[in-house]
Formats: sequence, structure tokens, C-alpha cells
Amino acid sequence: MRKRISEWSGLVLLAASLPLAAQTSAASKASTGNSGKSWNTGSKTPWGDPDLQGTWTSDDTWGVPMERPTQYGDRLYLTEDELKDREKRVEQSKERIENPSDTNHSPAKAQLDAEENGTPPPAPAAGGGRGGRGGRGPSVDAAPVPGQFGEYARRASKQTSQVVDPPNGRIPALTPEGLKKRTAAAALRGKTPETWTDWSIYDRCITRGVAGSIIPVIYGNGLEIVQAPGYVAIRYEMVHDARIIPTDGRPHLPNTVHTYMGDPVGHWEGNTLVVETTNFNDKMGIGPNGGGFESEDMKLTERFTRVAENTINYELTIDDPKTYTAAWKVAFPITHEPGYQIYEYACHEGNMAMRNMITGTLAQEAAAAAKKN
Amino acid sequence: MKTMFCIAVLGAGLLLTSAPVWAHHAFAAEFDVNKPLILKGTVTKMEWINPHAWIHIDVKDVDGKVTPWMIEAGAPNGLLRRGFTKNSLLPGTEIVVEGWQAKDGSTRANGSNITLPDGHKLFVGSSGTGAPFEKDGAGKQ
Repeated sequence: MRKRISEWSGLVLLAASLPLAAQTSAASKASTGNSGKSWNTGSKTPWGDPDLQGTWTSDDTWGVPMERPTQYGDRLYLTEDELKDREKRVEQSKERIENPSDTNHSPAKAQLDAEENGTPPPAPAAGGGRGGRGGRGPSVDAAPVPGQFGEYARRASKQTSQVVDPPNGRIPALTPEGLKKRTAAAALRGKTPETWTDWSIYDRCITRGVAGSIIPVIYGNGLEIVQAPGYVAIRYEMVHDARIIPTDGRPHLPNTVHTYMGDPVGHWEGNTLVVETTNFNDKMGIGPNGGGFESEDMKLTERFTRVAENTINYELTIDDPKTYTAAWKVAFPITHEPGYQIYEYACHEGNMAMRNMITGTLAQEAAAAAKKN
Repeated sequence: MKTMFCIAVLGAGLLLTSAPVWAHHAFAAEFDVNKPLILKGTVTKMEWINPHAWIHIDVKDVDGKVTPWMIEAGAPNGLLRRGFTKNSLLPGTEIVVEGWQAKDGSTRANGSNITLPDGHKLFVGSSGTGAPFEKDGAGKQ
């Protein structure tokens, strides 16, 4: 481990030894995110690697189910009509979130107002949009107040599922060992938590794992890619994991070392960054926020291919014969949103949920005991 | 506001039409899905902390007794991205909160929506409103 730490220190030294122009360029792109308007398929960093740098999100896959609903069969892409329907819903969501309307009033407030005034609840205002909003209370600023806090797709994905292989878009059957893990997880969900380990790694703000850090969820789907000669670094917003990926051909750590995020090594195949990660600790899984299952023998292979100024095609192959009866693959684009920044996510700063879940459990136990008596 | 305090445990039909989505944690372990509520109160402070922001309000009952409540909201990063700033909910703002009470019976709740003085509604935590592709099941963690 000491060796690895010294290698990480080497990243800093390597960056420090870069020509100033290269550092400035890299820092500029990293800080402004995807600002290189002249990007094309041949764009390279000053030291000759394909340029993946900037901020990206998986938000455009928000709403695409991980496993394919059975009605789509082996079809990975929506039909034209289905796509039009999804585009309509994406536009409706965008409109609702970006331009909350006067019609988005709370029935609860109308009910309370009516109770106070002794009058029937008013009908929703006609029209909508910012122009029709009217005045705000004195303590509310001029910023738009949205209809929801979560993330949303800006562009409609054509995919019917995030799983692209096997062809039916379903996660392969679990092995007997995988089934044991699923049974244990189900038992955990069904029981009253008794100790801190009865809550998930994610609940405890530890990590979301490699797959869980990029599979889109309700918020915090951003990541930033920064490159230096011989290294690619990726930092993810939610739970703020960071991966330092050497691309100098070194081998993996010995298989006696196992970690939540594994040991990544990368190489370039043409314009594609290929990252192979092993040495997992089997405490996470492949799913949103690190849910699902894995074994210590799992190998993940990620492929990052920038195909446009604002798009990287991302592929994740899961090879874990101890857990799954076949290898499988997830794929979706990660895209850039102008102005998107990665914010600090000090996860345990105010993780009052842990306390509340414990007191909730105690209350539940007390109620059960009282009922018994 | 003639009635500063109103807590209504609504019939299953109104608030329970949408089950809350897991946010950062297991909703069912922390909040009681059988205790939906509506609170009207005055903001005393908003804590911009991870993984979820918390809104503190004072709720006054018909006898004038004030009870402080804590309302769990969404992630600060997400709220900020949607245009919600530290000036959006200043102390003194009167709001209406829809949500679910803590399972331990304390005066804490998971907020689903808050309504601002001008009637505009903000989805602050749980789901069921505004989430795209809900039918596809995405985002339900």
C-alpha cells in the first residue's frame, strides 16, 4: 500500500513537471469543463492522449430503466413513435422543472386557505409560465423556484434499457453464490435493524462503488475527468469518490488487496480509454447507488469514447462468474451540460438519517412490545 | 394567518397516491408512511447540509403554543442546481409543508412539497410529483 501511495504522490509530481502551457491548458479545461469548442475526434491533450476532460453527467439516461421491461423483448432502441412519446415526456419534465407554472399550486395550501377563509378552494390559475407568476413574498428572491429538486434528462434517450447485453436487456441469472447474497440482502431489508451494519454502505455515506457512482439516480450524477501524462482521474459528485487511473501499463495490485472501489488500470485503444478494475471487496454491487451484488473476483471493464463535443459513450462490462451466470454490459452516453459544476458532497456532514432511523427502530420496537403486553 | 397551526393526518387517498422514493436513506426506517401531514409554519432557519438539507419551522397552534419542527428536504446540490438559493427560504417566510412524520413520533418530517407565500410549490424531497418516467421505475432507489 505504501508503494501505491507513493505512486499517487507521483501524479502530483508529474503534473508539477508538465510544461506550464500544458498545465494551464489542462487546468483551464478542467475548471471550465468542456470549453474546447474546437474539439473533434482527433483532439488530443498536449501530451498526446485523447481528450476526455471536463464535467459530465449521466442525467440524460434518467428515466431509462436499468433492466429492459419485458414488452420490448430484444429491442434495445425505442421505435419512432415510442421515442416521440418519450421526447414529449422529457420536454414536459423540462418545462415543469425549468419553468414552473402558476398551475403548479398545492392542493394542500388551497385546502388550508379555504379553511382559514371559510371559502371554497380557488380553481387553479389558467395559463402558466414565468410571465404569469405574479409577485413573490418579500422574503423570496427572484430565482426560479422549481417543481422538483432532482435531476432530469435534457435529451430523450433512445434506449429501452441501460443493460445492452445480453440482448434481452436483463441482468443474467445469479449463480448459487449470487442467490445466497440476494437472500441475505432480502432478509436484511425485512428485519428490524439492530446495529449500524444493518444499514447499507450507501446509507452510511461510505461509497457508491464504481458502477453506482455513474448509474443515474435522482440527483448527483455528475463526474469530472482530469488527465495528466500517464494518468486519468475521475471524481464523482455524490459521496465524492475519486479514482486515480494509471495508464502506464502497470499490473494490478496483488489479489490479497481488496477495496470498495477496486484497483483500476487503464490503457488507450485508439480514442477509447479502457479501464479494467479488479480487487473489489464484495461489499458493493452493480446497480444504482451501489446496490446489487458482486464478488471479490469481479472484473469491471469500462470504455470511455468521446464521440462529440458534449458526449462520451460509456460502456461497463461486468465479468463476475462467482455472482452472475454470464458476463453482461451496461451502456449509455454521458453528456455535458453548460455551466454544470461538481459541488462538494460532504455526505456525513448532516446524515441525520442514521439517528432518525435508529430512533425510528426503537419506537417501532417499543410499540411492538406494548402491543404484546 | 388566522390559523398558524394545522396538522392534518389525511385520508389515504390524498398524500398516499404516491409512495415516497428512497432518497439517500431508507425512508421506511425513518418516516412513517401512515403519518402523512400538512404543516403551516414560519421558517426559522434552513440548514444547507449533506446529504439532505433541513428546514426548521415554528408551528403555532390555535392556542398560540409554538412547536419547532424539522423538515427534511432534498440534497443541497440538487436544490442549488434547480435555482433554490440561500435566499429562497429566509427566516420569517410562512410556508406550508406536506410530508410524513418521523417514525419515532418526534417533530421531524420528511417533506414532499412546500408551498411558498405566493402559492408556488416546491418539490423538496420525496417523489410522486414531477419525476419523469416514473412508470419505467427509474430513480426508485
